[in-house]
Amino acid sequence: MEQVLSTRQTRKVVPAMRIRGHRLNPGESFILWLSRVIIWMVIVLSIIPMWFVLTASFNPSNAYFSFSLFPPHPSLVNYVQLFKDGQFVVWVRNSLIVGLTVAVGQVLLTASSAYAFSRLRFWGRKYGLMILLILQMFPNFLAIAAIYSVLAQLNMMDNLGSYILVLLGGSAFNIWLLKGYFDSIPKELDEAAIIDGASSWQRFTRVILPLSVPMLVVIFLFTLMGAFGEYILAGTILQSPQNYTLGVGMYGLISNQFAKNWGEFAAAALLSAVPLTVIFGFLQRYIASGLVAGSVKG
Amino acid sequence: MGQIESAAVLRGHRKPRRKVHWSAYGYLSPAIISISVLSLAPIAYTIYIAFTNYSAMHFQTYQFVGFKNFIDLMNPNNPLSTLFIPTLVWTFIFAMVTTLLNYLVGLFLAVILNNHNMREAAVYRAILIIPWAVPGLISMLAWQGLLNDSYGQVNALLHTLGLPSVPWLISPFWARIAIFMVNLWAGFPYMMTVSLGALQAVPNELYEAGSMDGAGWWQQFRNITVPEIWKITLPLVIPSFAFNFNNFNAVYLLTQGGPARSTNQFVGYTDILASAAYKMTLTFNRYDLAATISIILFIIVGFLSWVQMRYTHAFEEVDD
Repeated sequence: MEQVLSTRQTRKVVPAMRIRGHRLNPGESFILWLSRVIIWMVIVLSIIPMWFVLTASFNPSNAYFSFSLFPPHPSLVNYVQLFKDGQFVVWVRNSLIVGLTVAVGQVLLTASSAYAFSRLRFWGRKYGLMILLILQMFPNFLAIAAIYSVLAQLNMMDNLGSYILVLLGGSAFNIWLLKGYFDSIPKELDEAAIIDGASSWQRFTRVILPLSVPMLVVIFLFTLMGAFGEYILAGTILQSPQNYTLGVGMYGLISNQFAKNWGEFAAAALLSAVPLTVIFGFLQRYIASGLVAGSVKG
Repeated sequence: MGQIESAAVLRGHRKPRRKVHWSAYGYLSPAIISISVLSLAPIAYTIYIAFTNYSAMHFQTYQFVGFKNFIDLMNPNNPLSTLFIPTLVWTFIFAMVTTLLNYLVGLFLAVILNNHNMREAAVYRAILIIPWAVPGLISMLAWQGLLNDSYGQVNALLHTLGLPSVPWLISPFWARIAIFMVNLWAGFPYMMTVSLGALQAVPNELYEAGSMDGAGWWQQFRNITVPEIWKITLPLVIPSFAFNFNNFNAVYLLTQGGPARSTNQFVGYTDILASAAYKMTLTFNRYDLAATISIILFIIVGFLSWVQMRYTHAFEEVDD
């Protein structure tokens, strides 16, 4: 996370370098205000759709022939209905089961291999890394025909367990990510541990893993969010309503009898988007800095 | 064979072999097993299916048919090509326009936000990131509702402003415009964030040297900022293109690939190859065609990634 720290520092340094009380010349002032106006307009355009969803969730009637910024008779009836039907709770529960299992599974599957790739020397290391690099380019849903027909032949369709298994296959990118993080941990720490007589397993569990907790948390949360946002495989494998994940369920709400369900959909969208958006807000600097770090290296 | 020989040559002549940690295979085994069974095997099976006539009609008794599926999809005289060729063209257009729009708008906003005189820039940035932070699945489905022809709030807003309502998601032209618009809404914050990072990584010494040489604001921007940003953000454009090329959620959850084409029942006007493969599998049970489309996608994405890796020297990192 060196990269993260350094970008944070530059962000702090830059304002400090501003000359306080410096008066803008007319040209600078014009550019500043023009930029502000442009940004305000972009902000309005970005926010309006979300505001629409928010108001729809509080609007008891689903008739939208007229437009208003605030619902005329706000009520919680959509939220009540959502929970009374009981489906929403089932969807969230299923998504949580899938997301948590896959996230824990990914961390377990990736950590030890990332350690081997980062610290150990063995035949096939180079080709193994290349295979991972190539595999992570292909989203696993491209094998959809194969996955569907194998699951159908093995009688494993419509089963949360099968869905979890399929999602567990996509760990190539995480290994690559974690290996990069392990590489940034100073080798001197390993050497010190070797002098103290630590075995490779002890170095892995006592030195490397404790120092990598932030990255493991990032992988955990990204995988969790990825599972909430996945539709194509869920829509393929899960068929009966009691197995629906959030995505499949909400897709059903909006594509069947749209006019009747729009308010309920908006309520469900709000309830599920807010926590995920907040988690993402905390994580986004890791994505941005990680990607830029990779490209700066080249 | 060649490898064993060259290893023997190495052992005989050059540097002494470094110690091999046999325990490494123990550490690797969980990932080797899971990746082989859950990732490599499905890919291998996909390749196999692409060369058979495996479908609901031939579920038990399928045969090997060679390159027939590939030829059927690409031969202009075959009716199946009306499914494949326009979808391929649209996939390219969709990925290209979306990537470029997001990149240019994101870059533009980043440049504006990077104004030192704008003290509240961090607040704007935080607000502008929200569309990216909302899970794509939820925002795409919500947009589908907002753009609904008769009940959607976007048309209601247009009506209030005295504008005619637009047949979003119903006419092929407007459905495509809607896809570009919604993906710009969801995608520009990423490009903006990355470009801002790049802008702030430009070393201050360059600007100091520039102003000592008497370069004005515009000259500094053109000769320092632009080349530096270019260098850092351009390598992100290709992966972003590759991502959009397979961006199933961005299309299917908004339009379901529709409106339907009159020329064939399989795909609609906005279907991209990934959603076509999905429909082939799930709706029409043509696993052979779905697998063939997937193979073609593998090849295109593989080529793009190869270009990307040559460009960023990703493979060299493996060499150490």
